[in-house]
Amino acid sequence: MMTLRPTHALWLAALVGLALLPQIIAVKYYLHLSILALIWVIAAQGQNLIQGYTGYVSIVQAGFIGIGAYSTALMGIHYGLPVWLTILLAPLVTALFAVATGYPSLRVKGHYFAIVTLAFNLVIFIVLMNFTELTEGEAGITGIPRPGGSDGWLDWRDRETYYYFVLILAALMTGLAALIVRSRIGRILVAIRQNEDLVGAIGISAWKYKLFAFVTSAMYAGLAGAVYAHYQSFINPEIFGVAQSLDAILAVIIGGSGTIAGPVIGAFFVVFLPEYLRFADSFRLIIYGLVLVLATIFMPRGIVGVATGLAARIARRGK
Amino acid sequence: MIEILQQIINGMAIGGVYVLIALGLTTVFGILGIAHFAHGSVSMFGGYLTFFLVSAQGLPLAAAIVIALATGFVLGLLIELLAYRPVRNASHINAFIVALGLTMMVEGLNLEFFGHEQVVIPTDFDRVFNLGGVTIPELRLYVILAAALLIAAMTLFVEKTKTGQAIRAVAENRDAAILMGVNVNTIPLVVFAISTMLGVCAGIMVGALFAIAPGIGEGLVIKGFAVLILGGLGSIPGAVIGGLVLGITEALAAGFLSSAYKDVIAFVVMITVLLVRPQGLMGKA
Repeated sequence: MMTLRPTHALWLAALVGLALLPQIIAVKYYLHLSILALIWVIAAQGQNLIQGYTGYVSIVQAGFIGIGAYSTALMGIHYGLPVWLTILLAPLVTALFAVATGYPSLRVKGHYFAIVTLAFNLVIFIVLMNFTELTEGEAGITGIPRPGGSDGWLDWRDRETYYYFVLILAALMTGLAALIVRSRIGRILVAIRQNEDLVGAIGISAWKYKLFAFVTSAMYAGLAGAVYAHYQSFINPEIFGVAQSLDAILAVIIGGSGTIAGPVIGAFFVVFLPEYLRFADSFRLIIYGLVLVLATIFMPRGIVGVATGLAARIARRGK
Repeated sequence: MIEILQQIINGMAIGGVYVLIALGLTTVFGILGIAHFAHGSVSMFGGYLTFFLVSAQGLPLAAAIVIALATGFVLGLLIELLAYRPVRNASHINAFIVALGLTMMVEGLNLEFFGHEQVVIPTDFDRVFNLGGVTIPELRLYVILAAALLIAAMTLFVEKTKTGQAIRAVAENRDAAILMGVNVNTIPLVVFAISTMLGVCAGIMVGALFAIAPGIGEGLVIKGFAVLILGGLGSIPGAVIGGLVLGITEALAAGFLSSAYKDVIAFVVMITVLLVRPQGLMGKA
């Protein structure tokens, strides 16, 4: 435990920094982006479980975010359930879909798995677009309420309140991810990534663990979607497409695949970078793409990989 | 019965486009293990360029196609050299991320050069043939014939020529191919040049048959991968059969079930095939 001290200090510093953020930033819009980034942290932590630790690149995370968002909104509208309950139920609904899709798709590996999950994301998108009786199609669902009003001791209309709510959730889910990957289950997931046949050979049924990772990652996405829906109060299928699933993959890769800090950094990266490139207008897409290509070529282990490499070098110098 | 035949003919035209896209993807995948996600956007670039040359520059269609193919050839070389070669020895996920970045760049370039407007490549193939009650528009017939010709040419190239033999050797066993004196630096270049030219052909067909617009390329490359899964990754006969199956399934689904859900039905077919035959229809177990 003693050797882990510097990382613990870093985590604490990051948490304190994020907790103070609303007091520092003057522009409301950045607070909005920070909320989105924290929601992405939750989704990216989930993506990291299946992609980074288990080694299965799933391209359906945004589809699952969508299922979470629509299920919390629809349960509220059709059954009049309280917001807190639907936020808790949304990940469970998403988990049901994940079991149904994960069971067939986890029978195949590598690129096959990636493409099958991508097909599922397309199917989810098409259904959200066309099943208008339930989802209102492209027009989307409006008027999704916040978890509370402005009359209690917390003003839920205030963005800052929601920021802290999402920050706590993101911290908890990051902690949960850390617990999972340090447990026996987590070690088996990493073993599957390194050599799946060997895992089978020593008598562990890998598919149970893969399904666990896939369903857990979907529950993370479901929670992120639910929190998103109640924040924006409006959802339509547009942001639950394949492009956003690719963003989840990028968040994991850019941050540092198979590390707990990676998705946190990566999530802020995928939310803020496109915003900073806004000045470039139509060149934005080109620059964003170029950054990705260059980052992959020159820092394949992500930002966390670069940072730990630097830290190790400094530590060696010091001796 | 006539109705079914009609839909099958319709499906063959779009299926032919899928086959061409899938052929490019499957050779790249077979040789280099790269899921070349930017292929659809690159293909659309070819379609856009042809449209631009015909409509804005007033070139005849044939000349425009030749220029687009030559551009595709060069583009393919550049993609391999600048984007994929640096990550050749890294894990495959890295090449996939590069492919995603490349997709954004090409989509961005398409927007920058050609704008947001939906474009249709003008052709004067407006006649409609009638074969025992089944109507075949002239353009659709030419697309099917051109696709068949390209498939035959590609098969001959891979099976009969020295370079084709080298490509198959690298796909079979890279290390052994190196030992046998195959130049593994030029093979990827050849593969990308050919696959990009096939993609350009598909892009032109899409532009003439339907329309080109932002986002179409991504949809197309996803269909291309679905074809690969159906047929078996890295298999040329698999790409041909998979493409036709997907195209015809889609046309039948659109004609008899629901056009909004035709893609859903196509993907359900793909997933079902995968469950029964995880290696694809023509893949080796």
